[in-house]
Amino acid sequence: MLDGVNRRIERTRRAVARATPLPLMVRCGLGLVFFAAMTVAWPSGVVASRYVVALGLVAAYPAFAPRGRGVTFAILVVVGGWILDTTGGDARVALWRVLSIATLLYLGHTLAALAAVLPHDAIVNADVVATWLARALLVVLISAVLTVIALGLTAELAGDPFVIATLVGLGAAVGTTLLLARMLRRA
Amino acid sequence: MEPPPLRAAVPAGVAAAEEAWAAPAWVPTRALGRTVLLTGLLLVLGVALGRVDLVLLAAPFAVGAAIGLRRMPRSAPELTIDADEEHVVEGGRVAAGLTVANPDVITYDLVVVRARTSPWLELENADRPFAITVAPDGWTGVELPGAALRWGRHDVGPAAARVAACGGLLACRPVVTPPRGVRVFPETEPFAATEAMPAAAGLVGNHRSRRPGEGGELAGVRPFAPGDRLRRIDWRVSLRTRDLHVASTLSDRDAEVLLLLDVLGEAGTSEGVKGRASVLDTTVRAAAAIAEHYLQRGDRVSLLEYGSSARRLRPATGRRQYLTVLEWLLDVRADTGGVQGPHEHVFGAHHVSPDALVVVLTPLVDPRSADMLAGLTQSGRYTVAVDTLPAGAAPPIRGPLTPLATRLWRMERENVLGRLREHGVPVVTWAGTGSLDLVLRDVSRLASAPRGR
Repeated sequence: MLDGVNRRIERTRRAVARATPLPLMVRCGLGLVFFAAMTVAWPSGVVASRYVVALGLVAAYPAFAPRGRGVTFAILVVVGGWILDTTGGDARVALWRVLSIATLLYLGHTLAALAAVLPHDAIVNADVVATWLARALLVVLISAVLTVIALGLTAELAGDPFVIATLVGLGAAVGTTLLLARMLRRA
Repeated sequence: MEPPPLRAAVPAGVAAAEEAWAAPAWVPTRALGRTVLLTGLLLVLGVALGRVDLVLLAAPFAVGAAIGLRRMPRSAPELTIDADEEHVVEGGRVAAGLTVANPDVITYDLVVVRARTSPWLELENADRPFAITVAPDGWTGVELPGAALRWGRHDVGPAAARVAACGGLLACRPVVTPPRGVRVFPETEPFAATEAMPAAAGLVGNHRSRRPGEGGELAGVRPFAPGDRLRRIDWRVSLRTRDLHVASTLSDRDAEVLLLLDVLGEAGTSEGVKGRASVLDTTVRAAAAIAEHYLQRGDRVSLLEYGSSARRLRPATGRRQYLTVLEWLLDVRADTGGVQGPHEHVFGAHHVSPDALVVVLTPLVDPRSADMLAGLTQSGRYTVAVDTLPAGAAPPIRGPLTPLATRLWRMERENVLGRLREHGVPVVTWAGTGSLDLVLRDVSRLASAPRGR
């Protein structure tokens, strides 16, 4: 068992020694983005308490294993914190928080997708990361516009957000189904 | 009666099926699965809880998937390895490269390409993967400049490329390309031998032979005889002796040199062109140098491996033969076969031309090599042995008795060398220029004596 631990330590040491800056920055960015999402989504009382360490660990895990299920788990923890805060904590659904969480979650997701295919010791052309981030920013921008419009509409139709949510939700569900059907046909 | 309907001998759709089988497999990544899961979950939660903000949290995932998957990749990337076709000499520069071409209509967001290269090619960053993007209908190259450390055929590759497209939602199965060989020729150590060949056999050439004839080397002065050419008359001697005398010369002939490479074993550590040399390194470099020297002088050079494969290169002369020799030397490998190889019956003195100068490059580690040398000398061949064992070569230390065993082995080897010298086999350690001069002189002297065997 001690041999196994030693081997693992040696492997980690070698991996760290061989690591190159850009993949390392991608992974660090991934961890930071998820941690920021945690701090925005969870109630301020929890963030200020010692539970923030647990949240930090959950946020940092995807940076070490971007290919695993840790990324999905971290996103679900963020969403769980958001629901907890807005339902149990009785906090108001502020536009900046929705925008921030949506942006950070998507950035975390796409950085994890990049880190999953980018070996830690690779020599990376800067345009790889730049193109990747540019596309992510485009997506985030479009989503932000959609968010502002949708929340504005909700404010206009104050008192009946359920209908808006249902309509938007159904529209998105139909869109996703069509997309998946098309993808499966071509793949 | 109605004849039975004929059916096609080749089942329909075979080509289509093969094409489908050969088609590149673009597979969804975990990121796509995550996108679908989160979008669905957030939509369901949004509808169930009546929360528009949850739907909006799903929006970037849905938008990202829509943008990413609006155009799907259809074909696999094309990966090629470029390597030097030029004549590379060990220690020289090698230019290798990897090129990824994108025949598709969408950009490859990330191509991770990596190659395995021979340890004797010191290529820059060859041990690391490269991450690049490739534009649609374009290509991107990765340069791998470096140096060749040792002679031989060295591989660049195999190389593999893995592509992620559609924002990392789809990935291609790795595309692997077979290796590309780089020929690295041995660095020939400077070698020159000024001594005469023991037996010049051909009709033309530039060695002074031991036989009288038309040539440039004065053999002596003798009385004129019918048939002598008038311009050969030595007037000074003729006036003094009052009788016609002619200057006789030795004819110039070419000779055959057989380089016999003992490949029964490898010893020592090879550290490339700048480090220590192993037995095979010395053998190959010395063979190249000796071949170059004699081929430049117009001699015929042939090569033969003393090992189970018994590869042979026929005697020939000229620059073309030199290039063939270098190419032939690239495939020299240590024979790791059993103790009693089939070469026992393959090789014999009858394979060696009686007039050829046989230069045996041997580490004299295997007892069969000493037997072969003794056999060659006994059969009257002009044999010179070049000791290729590195100075500090010793077996790896496996126990407290290893140094003692090594000493015993060295003493035994010295004994073998002494006995070979007693049998008339000159053994010389390879040292470049002039290595063979002393022994060649001895061999020539022996050759000029009457052969009474």
